[in-house]
Amino acid sequence: MTALLTVEHLSVHYSLPAGGLFRRRPLTLKAVDDVSFELRAGETLGVVGETGCGKSSLGKGVLQLVKPAAGRVLWEGQDLCALPAEAIKRCRKDLQIIFQDPLSSLNPRMTIGEIVAEPLEVHYPALARDDRRRRVDAMLERVGLRPEMRNRYPNEFSGGQCQRISIARAMISEPKVIVCDEPVSSLDVSIQAQICNLLRDLQRDTGIALLFISHDLSIVRYMSHRVLVMYLGRVMETGGREEFFGAPRHPYSQALISAVPVPDPDRPPAERSLVLDGELPSPLDPPSGCVFRTRCPLAVPVCITQMPPLSEAAPGHGVACHRWQET
Amino acid sequence: MTPVIECQQLNVRFRTDGGAVTAVSDLDFNLNAGECLGVVGESGSGKSQTFLAMFGLLAHNGTATGSIRYRGTELLNAPRSTLDGLRGNRLAMIFQDALSGLTPTMRIGDQMSEVLMRHQGLSRRNARARVIEALEVVRIADPEQRFSAYPFEMSGGMRQRVMIAMATLCRPEVLIADEPTTALDVTVQAQVLRLLNGLKNHTGTSLVLITHDLGVVAGLCDRVLIMYAGRAVELGPVRDIFRRPAHPYTQALLRSMPSLIIDPGKDLPVIPGQPPDLENLPAGCPFASRCLHTQDDCTTERPRLRAVGPDHSRACHLPA
Repeated sequence: MTALLTVEHLSVHYSLPAGGLFRRRPLTLKAVDDVSFELRAGETLGVVGETGCGKSSLGKGVLQLVKPAAGRVLWEGQDLCALPAEAIKRCRKDLQIIFQDPLSSLNPRMTIGEIVAEPLEVHYPALARDDRRRRVDAMLERVGLRPEMRNRYPNEFSGGQCQRISIARAMISEPKVIVCDEPVSSLDVSIQAQICNLLRDLQRDTGIALLFISHDLSIVRYMSHRVLVMYLGRVMETGGREEFFGAPRHPYSQALISAVPVPDPDRPPAERSLVLDGELPSPLDPPSGCVFRTRCPLAVPVCITQMPPLSEAAPGHGVACHRWQET
Repeated sequence: MTPVIECQQLNVRFRTDGGAVTAVSDLDFNLNAGECLGVVGESGSGKSQTFLAMFGLLAHNGTATGSIRYRGTELLNAPRSTLDGLRGNRLAMIFQDALSGLTPTMRIGDQMSEVLMRHQGLSRRNARARVIEALEVVRIADPEQRFSAYPFEMSGGMRQRVMIAMATLCRPEVLIADEPTTALDVTVQAQVLRLLNGLKNHTGTSLVLITHDLGVVAGLCDRVLIMYAGRAVELGPVRDIFRRPAHPYTQALLRSMPSLIIDPGKDLPVIPGQPPDLENLPAGCPFASRCLHTQDDCTTERPRLRAVGPDHSRACHLPA
């Protein structure tokens, strides 16, 4: 399959200006550091990692919601990072996003009908009012809301319903890619499955590609065809779902997978869990060499001095570890 | 087994501008000595309010009726002096958000020492030694130095471990952990769960683990109470809950949960609809509108908790 969207050596930096007693010099936080991947039509690429690993910044960098410091995002033969703002705006018809907090990402003063219609007004200004209304109603119905609800405001809806509205807003311009940034993390368990299934259905019907960002490995396994694991802004491992969850090669991936509680009382956690000690280092002052080395059970001196390259453990399966052959 | 905590006919209500909200209704359960009871439910199921009521920590517009006894002593609406002698001493609680559970302007060592000085009459110096020991147990690196750190100087995982150390200083008989790992990353969650497991196995503390994560329950709990819309819908040994769930809600919850052991090629069966509005609870079973097996009496008569097996009960009208 050919790539729909290609990301090459993308870096997203935030600069913290100097000021106050504790910061004499300006600092640069490298939220995303040299990340490359391809997103293919009709597939879901799951991006996993813990707090501060840069997964949300990656999603925003890809969509140019924050300006990347370096790298390229190739979309239909153009580099989004080099396009002027007007041209990027036109691309947004095809590149959409859904956020974690469904209520705060919806304008409280707009009815949900207006919210869902807005992308049509921007991207298809010639569309007649009646047609627009018909498309909004059809889309509301498609995401499981009644079209009569169109005149209500976001605060009248539950979290799960608000997330359906966000999905309707993202889908109405018939995009080719949606970045889903923790779309089910704030929802109750019984609602999470509803939203996951809705996204899977929409993908089956429309062939849309999803960049699915989440800290929840169970959900990423359910949603994704391929997986990308990040730690302190860098890619640790990437591969197909079966290979990755069946035989993870990076010690961080192994720890991450074994730390997920499994809903089976006959599998006691002590026996299967590879518990990592210590805390995530500050992203302002990441370790030298391999960023994971301070918590890695396999770390050796070379890990302190050299950043491991992404080695191809198998076709399509990359591992950034000096000792991947021993894992 | 002797119950440490006996809860009978607990009702928790809140007065709001929109009318009365019933957060917990007619709840009965026991916590046995040395066991870990998992309390599972979604937001609004009443799982946290039950234990806030037990600790006398309900919001000002909340009232609790019924009875919660600790070794015969009534806790519900007990005088402040009774509660003060027990809270932080025999009964302790860990909250989800460790930052708001710690005083931001006090060094963590000082707020931990205060517990020992108050409840056990220790001198400041002896308290300090015990606090440092407790910080070591929860694997805080450099406990001597961390003693004088402020909460904001620590990461979320460290603060949660400090909360656990503080809650266990007086070797409480009962420890209530309210979503202790929800705000934490998985690798840090694993550290905290290992700590709670050690506590349960080595000190004999009775543990209540309030959570929405059935994976966490499976790894740690002996018995499980499933709550829905303020009511107990199922109560039983952990193995029965996972192997032979008796209530349609429990069954649906287990089926609809993504986990690392499901087949991602198949669609998850979902629970349709939304949880009920606590201001307008239906007359019958609160789960009836989302249940796949509803019969006539489900919408008219509220089901009571009835035994379906040894130590295993459910609140459901369906034939077992």
